[in-house]
Amino acid sequence: MKKLLLGAGFLGVAALMAWGFDQAMFVAPTEATMGDVQRIFYYHVPNAMLSFLFFAISFVASVLYLMWRRSAPERAQTADAWALAGAEVGVVFCSVVLVTGPLWARPVWGIWWTWDARLTTTLILWLIYVSYLLLRRFAEGAQTQALAAVLSIFGALDVPIVYMANRWWRTQHPAPVFGGGPDSGIKDPVMLAAFGWNLLAWAVWGLMLLGVRVMVERRKQRIELAASQAALAER
Amino acid sequence: MAGMNRKSLRIGIAVAVVLGTIGYLAYTGQASAKSYYVTIAEMQKMGAKAYSSDLRVEGFVKPDTIRQDGPNVRFVLTEFESHNPKAQENPKQITVDYRGSEPPPDTFKNDAQALAIGTMGEDGVFHATQLQAKCASKYAPAGPQQSAAGAKMAANDGPGGVGGSAAGSGVSGAGR
Repeated sequence: MKKLLLGAGFLGVAALMAWGFDQAMFVAPTEATMGDVQRIFYYHVPNAMLSFLFFAISFVASVLYLMWRRSAPERAQTADAWALAGAEVGVVFCSVVLVTGPLWARPVWGIWWTWDARLTTTLILWLIYVSYLLLRRFAEGAQTQALAAVLSIFGALDVPIVYMANRWWRTQHPAPVFGGGPDSGIKDPVMLAAFGWNLLAWAVWGLMLLGVRVMVERRKQRIELAASQAALAER
Repeated sequence: MAGMNRKSLRIGIAVAVVLGTIGYLAYTGQASAKSYYVTIAEMQKMGAKAYSSDLRVEGFVKPDTIRQDGPNVRFVLTEFESHNPKAQENPKQITVDYRGSEPPPDTFKNDAQALAIGTMGEDGVFHATQLQAKCASKYAPAGPQQSAAGAKMAANDGPGGVGGSAAGSGVSGAGR
């Protein structure tokens, strides 16, 4: 039953993403100054927004882990699973941002990359969470989860800086599309709809991925706990 | 319990130090990180320093001043977009002479916001080695005429979108 639900869910997400792709590539009108390249926007910005969401989930779960680690170990383990899953999915989304960004920049700015505040802080955010994942993979011992939680909290401090970077500083990166002043925004309802569909599709996909990862991680934790208890009982 | 309180205090102090540092960096960075580029007015206020530093100057491409010769471009960079209601009578502007290995991006055209990277010459011309366009985050559908240009851009066939103004007319060798 669970597998059937999961399968149906994945089919639904695939259909939603196909619909979003159609909206972005064929239904939305071609942009006036940039041409068809601007369609990258329908992927770049939703992925950026959602990467913030997943890093925020990792942040909150890491705080909860540190709070519950002594007082409620079982709940702390659940929080830890969420922290790990959030960081993983966040890295996937942030990677999409860092790939689509240069692909878009090259034709419209004339360069693949520049060290302005927005781009640099985003790369740092990505590096922090990649190092988080490396830490979780290679570090062993009882303190790994606590160390990782601290790293995730520090990493998340970069999120508001990335968000504010093109508001605080002069950047190559344009002002935010939403709430970026008179020289920003989408005037066309069809473009706005294509953006909304892709945001929804990627959000559903990401949250589903997150849910599956939390389930797998919880199962792994239970297996490891059972194994260590069995080892103790043998003594 | 007292030990717990001391520990919380230490954590609190550590958090305060970290947040304080980040806040301080953000606050002071606000001034220094403005240096990703300078405006034309700021460059002209730099005095002699403008002639010896590598600069990234921001402005708008003055309509119908683009003279392109292969990858090289000569144009006038001005303070305001031509339809900007705040535009002054005598805007600050500079002539930019770009020599590079590849032509500027297709978005580099009349009234486009652009960044020229290079040095200010004693001859009063800004010698750029790199040109970057800076795009607004305002999206509007192309009109029936423009969509043809958009399609051309996507096909990426050479210097499209130079605004049709005198593309290919020779650059006078007065640059250097």
